[in-house]
Amino acid sequence: MIFDKFSTKQDGVIRGYDIHSFRVKVICGVILVLCLLIAAACLFPAFWVFLAGLKDIKEFRRNTTLFPAKFDFGVFVKTWNDLKFTRYYINSFILVAGSVICAVIFNGILAYGLGILKPKGYRIINGLVMWSLLIPATTSVVSLFVNINRIGLNKSFIPLWLVYGSNAFYVILFKEFFEKMPKELVEAAKLDGCNVLQVFTKIIFPLSKPIIMVVAIFSMTAAWSDFLLPYLVLNGSGKETVMIAMFSFRTSNATDVEVLRAITFSIIPPTILFLLFQKQITDGAAIGAIKE
Amino acid sequence: MGIKTEQTEQKIHLGLLTKVKFKKEDLLGWLVMLPTLILFTFFVWEPLLESVRLSMYTAKGIRLQEFVGFSNYIRVLRHPDFMAAFRNTFVYILWSLVIGFFVPIIMAVLISETVHLKGFFRVGVYFPNMVPGMATVLMWGYFFTPGATGVLNIILSKFGVGNQLWLTNPKLTIPLIILTMTWKGAGATALIYMAGISGINPDIYEAATIDGAGIWKRIRHITLPSIFSLGKTLLILQIIAVFQILYEPLVMTNGGPNNASISLMQLVYNYAFRDFNYPMGAALSVMICMILVVLSGIYTKITSSKEA
Repeated sequence: MIFDKFSTKQDGVIRGYDIHSFRVKVICGVILVLCLLIAAACLFPAFWVFLAGLKDIKEFRRNTTLFPAKFDFGVFVKTWNDLKFTRYYINSFILVAGSVICAVIFNGILAYGLGILKPKGYRIINGLVMWSLLIPATTSVVSLFVNINRIGLNKSFIPLWLVYGSNAFYVILFKEFFEKMPKELVEAAKLDGCNVLQVFTKIIFPLSKPIIMVVAIFSMTAAWSDFLLPYLVLNGSGKETVMIAMFSFRTSNATDVEVLRAITFSIIPPTILFLLFQKQITDGAAIGAIKE
Repeated sequence: MGIKTEQTEQKIHLGLLTKVKFKKEDLLGWLVMLPTLILFTFFVWEPLLESVRLSMYTAKGIRLQEFVGFSNYIRVLRHPDFMAAFRNTFVYILWSLVIGFFVPIIMAVLISETVHLKGFFRVGVYFPNMVPGMATVLMWGYFFTPGATGVLNIILSKFGVGNQLWLTNPKLTIPLIILTMTWKGAGATALIYMAGISGINPDIYEAATIDGAGIWKRIRHITLPSIFSLGKTLLILQIIAVFQILYEPLVMTNGGPNNASISLMQLVYNYAFRDFNYPMGAALSVMICMILVVLSGIYTKITSSKEA
């Protein structure tokens, strides 16, 4: 019976012993149905976008049906070539690769300083980083953009990569991980004559693979989805990313079905990432927010 | 005597050595952090101060011209768009409380009660969070298309409901934008609540059952109170997020109809990147920033009082 599994239930209000009552069985059934509906609501829009991309434009404009009449996947290839998506994909991959490298290295070394080395006066920086976590970067985007223009880094990937090297959230993720490491390890390494750099490369770095993975995955998704600053810096430079291209399709002569196919193209890489690392990502979502 | 002085000298020497060594370690620590500190200064801290400076000048493009004090602020505050955006912010907050705050809690409580397909539900509700923001707003734009070909209208027509205007109905614009944001964010928030719920000691439920508490009473008196402090924290974070709403009105409605959905950040965008009036954009940014500093202060107070 489907209710047998409830005796092993770990979480929640309804305990294994409740399930003997008929009323509770009904409640459990209703909850399961509700959860299925929730999951459907979460997954359906993306699923529909993919299927609606198979329609042709006349069918899309006239028919009041949800799903396409025929399934010809060749239209996706045609739109990919018509909209020159290879170029946008390459630009996005360049942006993502540089951002991930900067996110891991720069935030990692700052956290190494704040969490392990703790030089005199580090608390000031600690406080500044904590406050930067709460003041969102979007509020200073105007002056940041002006600054980038002043030093002549407009139309370049460099400022967009480096901005990922100054992310307070990633610093705190690293720092909390480092602080949980046994202190004896670092002390022992120091007694063995390791210098600051060697402690990092020989002790801290090899033990930090799990947190490096989390930061890499977070920054990968964030950089792929990033729109505002890349748009301001790269638009019109020939280095437009997928998100910038999608924003411009809105006002270009791309048809609705082409936009739908473009949305599908933009969802594919994060979906693959998600399928590969679902456990790290869903676990990471919870550690990210429950600090302390 | 001679030996003694030698010893003291040695001691002084040692003392100096340790002192020098201590300083050297500190210096090394700061050197390790230096590259990232430069990045933080350039990308995070300096722009905040630069916003204040920029907001007090007139500018031609990116070049500052003359100091005008607070007149940019006054121009921003007197503009009718500001009042619209300011009023909308409260409407956004209201709807994000009604829809955005409770939906993840309900989802978390329900999914915590399932034993079948639990892994699928966790992954399924988190999926929208992986969909890029730009794709999300374009996607939901098709759902909210007015007329017979809009996805929601097609679905509703199967239940005999007539075509709706959706985003072009000024009363529905903000709730629908919040719905879109909730679709994207609720699953991730629900996972946080679920982590909180699974941390509840099962003995408490068992004790409550012995005392005769039914399922609803257990939710009301055990589950909800134990995620209450988590909820407070997430609520403040959600309100902070409302002040950053930009993509949704920018792409879905362009602030319309008739400014019914324009957000404060979109107004910043319009000043700075549509009209290229950077000082006015900066002035509004500074004001938003000040509101957020106050909210962050409240947040820090709540989280630190929880620890005590």
